[in-house]
Amino acid sequence: MSIVLDQVTKLYAGVPVVNDVSLDIGDGEFFVLLGPSGSGKSTLLRSIAGLSGIDHGRIALHGRDVTHVAARKRGVGLVFQNYALFQHMTVAENIEFALRVRRMRARARRQRRQELLRLVALEGMDERLPAQLSGGQQQRVAVARALAHKPEVLLLDEPFGALDAKIREELRRTIRQVQRELGITTVLVTHDQEEAFAMADRIGIMNLGRLLEMGAPHELYSSPATRFVATFLGAANLILARRTPDGILIGATTVASAERASGERENEVVTVVRPEEVEVAADRAGLSSGYLAAGIVDEVVFTGALERLRLRLDPAQHGSLLAFGDGGGNASLQVTRTQHEQRGFEVRPGQAVAIGVRRVHVLPTPLSSFTACASSAVDAEALSRQPLLTELAARMKTRIGTRTEPQLGLPEGPCQGSDTFVGTIVVASGPRCAQEADWLLRRGARDLLALPRDAQAPQRVLIHWVGEAARGATLAISASVLRHVPAEAVYLGIVAGDAASPGHGHGMRELLDARSEAQMAHGLDMRTELHFGDGEQQLARRLAEAPGQMLILGVTDLQDFARRFGGLLEGESPVLIVHRGSP
Amino acid sequence: MSRAVMAGHAAGETSRPGQRTWAHAIVRWFFITTSLLFIAAVLLAPLATVFVMALSKGIEAYLHSFADPDTLAAIRLTLITAGVVVPINTVFGLAAAWSIAKFEFRGKSVLITLIDLPLAISPVISGMIFVLLFGLHGWFGVWLQEHDLSIIFALPGIMLATMFVTFPYVARELIPLMQQLGNNEEEAAITLGAGGWMTFFRVTLPKVRWGLVYGMVLCNARAMGEFGAVSVVSGHIRGLTNTMPLHIEILYNEYNFVGAFAVASLLTLLAALTLVIKTLVERTGYRRR
Repeated sequence: MSIVLDQVTKLYAGVPVVNDVSLDIGDGEFFVLLGPSGSGKSTLLRSIAGLSGIDHGRIALHGRDVTHVAARKRGVGLVFQNYALFQHMTVAENIEFALRVRRMRARARRQRRQELLRLVALEGMDERLPAQLSGGQQQRVAVARALAHKPEVLLLDEPFGALDAKIREELRRTIRQVQRELGITTVLVTHDQEEAFAMADRIGIMNLGRLLEMGAPHELYSSPATRFVATFLGAANLILARRTPDGILIGATTVASAERASGERENEVVTVVRPEEVEVAADRAGLSSGYLAAGIVDEVVFTGALERLRLRLDPAQHGSLLAFGDGGGNASLQVTRTQHEQRGFEVRPGQAVAIGVRRVHVLPTPLSSFTACASSAVDAEALSRQPLLTELAARMKTRIGTRTEPQLGLPEGPCQGSDTFVGTIVVASGPRCAQEADWLLRRGARDLLALPRDAQAPQRVLIHWVGEAARGATLAISASVLRHVPAEAVYLGIVAGDAASPGHGHGMRELLDARSEAQMAHGLDMRTELHFGDGEQQLARRLAEAPGQMLILGVTDLQDFARRFGGLLEGESPVLIVHRGSP
Repeated sequence: MSRAVMAGHAAGETSRPGQRTWAHAIVRWFFITTSLLFIAAVLLAPLATVFVMALSKGIEAYLHSFADPDTLAAIRLTLITAGVVVPINTVFGLAAAWSIAKFEFRGKSVLITLIDLPLAISPVISGMIFVLLFGLHGWFGVWLQEHDLSIIFALPGIMLATMFVTFPYVARELIPLMQQLGNNEEEAAITLGAGGWMTFFRVTLPKVRWGLVYGMVLCNARAMGEFGAVSVVSGHIRGLTNTMPLHIEILYNEYNFVGAFAVASLLTLLAALTLVIKTLVERTGYRRR
């Protein structure tokens, strides 16, 4: 491995800007770090170069631990967005700088310089000053300069940011060619997904300091695992669907056969439909793919090779639409069509069409939508507007529904709605919360969020489960929550008795198992803490220690639920209950 | 509707531009003339007077006034002072500008304000500070006397006062420049394997050299011309602690107009030379950037 990052964390004023990033980059690989501005990708690159230190973790280059090695001894080449050429030196002096530092002889320097200038196609420019070169040429010089000392790793920080489209493409090709020719391990940082697709062997996508997913460009595009990646990498329509034994159901239509999850009962899932996978026809019979819904064309934009459509779905069916490429709130479906498709069936704004879907990808995320539940419509409405909930929903590009259950919390009270509980049910924290949670969980709610009225976004998420059957789901949901909240994850292991008790070794083992499972299966790095004593008491104590914490609690057994965990649901911290009974 | 607007616009175009140019020309002429007249009255006339008075008794009398040993001593003292003060302030200015532009630390804004302090304080007060510190009745006066050290009414006092008055110039010039140029070139040098000193001398210093030269030129001009602060600490001992500006005053008070204006003309020429260097530096600097 050329570059190994192990749990790298960088704090800025106490807030993690790079959060527990672990990453292996192979020899000769072209790796692209992609993310919106402020996602921590540039900071990570500077950490690899040694220009900014890290607060936690380890960095190794070619098997050599360089975590505490000075930048100048790391042997990396770095290219900046604004070139950072030495303005007072000629092209030749710029390129030879690293060689001069290494006291190489003049003749060998000249030879190496000419080699490099040929590589970046700038022969004969030796005596120019940077100010006499165009932006593209300056960046070529910067690449040549960064390669002069034959570094083992080339790092490029948004190298095309300041260039116009045409030069950008040309330089992109040059850099890719140079990289192949030298076989040098390269990391490029960019916010431009087209650039990432064009250059990368592998892409890693960062958001809020975390490395969310990585993989080959086509894999990430066709089967993303998270909403963020689905919508950041190209345009995507996110649609709520139901996974049933018969297939994936959107509204009343089965759009795809289910890859059956073993033993899972019917549940709500988030699907991704790429704009180019949507088909439009005059009527249902004209579709060659699975029928989704009827709709009306809202907008037609011609963009050259492609045509972009915005379709408004039939109001009776559009309830399941979540988010779109632009993240806007309107329930409209984004479609792109090729010239060929346009000629086959021309559309105008206002026209009614039948909509089909060629391919649906189901996100593995366990959190789909939120439903605020209370005993009166007014309370449910108020709860659905809680700031933390709306922020979470916005970040997850999902919606918040409301549900009124007049008998909520009354032990023998029946369910008002006929539907099953889907997604995450939200109730208000308070003295009545324990009864309400118990009531909901016994009537089929699986994920339940107890939300205090003034809860803010947490800085730390505590994770704990009672009963092994809840482990997988709790970890999956924790990972999903932490992808949308910039917080640190802490797993609490609790062993009955004290440190001297025989349960100690077992508790440690459980702790390490949980940690490695979170890392392996969900890419979630979490800290671990081992506590001794009674489970509920320890949780309550730990939760009360500091503000800004959230608890994710997995439970299997509802016996005595209200009595055992009621205290946790009255406090100032949000608590997410994950209930998975043994089948 | 749109046609009417178009027509109106076209009609406006035929009459207006001429009017505007005519009015514009008057305004321009007025402003340029006013500024030139003002400069002539306030700047050029007094400067011309210096040379007219200096040469009023002929070129021989003019040259003869430089033969006076006291005058020569004053010139020598001024040059020595500037020769010591400018390098020290250059080093200080570089260090201050570097730390302010490159690092974040507590008290940074206080440091920036303090650097400006000498510009805000009256030079006489600046001189007084040193008298209060090192004078016979000052804080360190007794100790200095016991050890037979003289600061006030001697060369060290003159240098300290000059240094105090002139220290903002280099730093003031460099801070915005360094902030604007950023850190990337230094970082590039470091990733290429250069150490701290090499990065400083090969990258940072060449990068800011025009700003640095400009700051030094300004610092030098002020160091040579400073009157107020130096007047307080020098003691006006002829041939010993008189700098050029102080010597001019003495000669003038003795009704030796030719002598006074001859030295003044020398000071003026030094100032003119400074300005020429400054202009050259600015031009070269622009061409390179």
